[in-house]
Amino acid sequence: MSAREPAGVAGPAQVPLRASFLSLAAVGAAAGLLSGLFGVGGGILMVPALVLSIGFRQHRAQAASLAAIIPIATVGALVFGRAGSVDLAAAAVLAAGSLLGVQAGARAMHRLSDQRLSWIFGTFLIVVALAMLIR
Amino acid sequence: MSPDELGQLAGLAVLGLTAGFLAGLLGIGGGVLLVPAMVLIFGFDQHVAQGTSLLVIIPSAVLGSYTHQRNGRLVVRDAALLAAGGVIGAVLGGVFALSIDDVLLRKLFAVFLLLTAVRILWPRARRNDAPAAETAGE
Repeated sequence: MSAREPAGVAGPAQVPLRASFLSLAAVGAAAGLLSGLFGVGGGILMVPALVLSIGFRQHRAQAASLAAIIPIATVGALVFGRAGSVDLAAAAVLAAGSLLGVQAGARAMHRLSDQRLSWIFGTFLIVVALAMLIR
Repeated sequence: MSPDELGQLAGLAVLGLTAGFLAGLLGIGGGVLLVPAMVLIFGFDQHVAQGTSLLVIIPSAVLGSYTHQRNGRLVVRDAALLAAGGVIGAVLGGVFALSIDDVLLRKLFAVFLLLTAVRILWPRARRNDAPAAETAGE
């Protein structure tokens, strides 16, 4: 098995694993709950759940997760916005920076192997968690 | 606008840049970096940091998804089914978060991050135990 899938293999006929409606919706619901509760996208739950429970490859899980975050975060932002808990000026500046950064990040991802991505993902989270607890 | 406010906005722009890069690299929305940074570095309330984070995540996720889609990694059915359950969960989670105290929410957030980190660094062994799921249908 090659380390990298050849380009152009993602058409419907080549998609290997067809996860059930219920399992995907359940993973989504749990991720949405975390997203609304903690202001994150929910990818932190979705990516490992898709890889470990459903058997997706890391790259497929990350792509699906990122796309699902769009409606999930929109609904969450509306809930917080109605309560006055959104700083619009800060959001505008943060978003402008994010848009520049996210393209570079996605390009860098294509140069990394599945294993390496998992390792980076986990290590990154440990560092952030410790920073929050040290405070 | 005061120099302090301008300085804060410049700092937020740098934070956005960093969070966006990691979001694209890791396939997450970036909120996991945005929320702690807004609270720890910029002194936001936990609630406002979370609400703002959710809004910031949206355009980054749109752009990141577009890039994945162009590279043939996105299966639209996967994302649609995840989102179907996800929006219901998001309403419930958001309403609950808004109902609890700011400090308690911050502590819960820290615990959530630690649990998540541990869980993600664990899977190696389980993956090797169950190679069938990984290779099914390939």
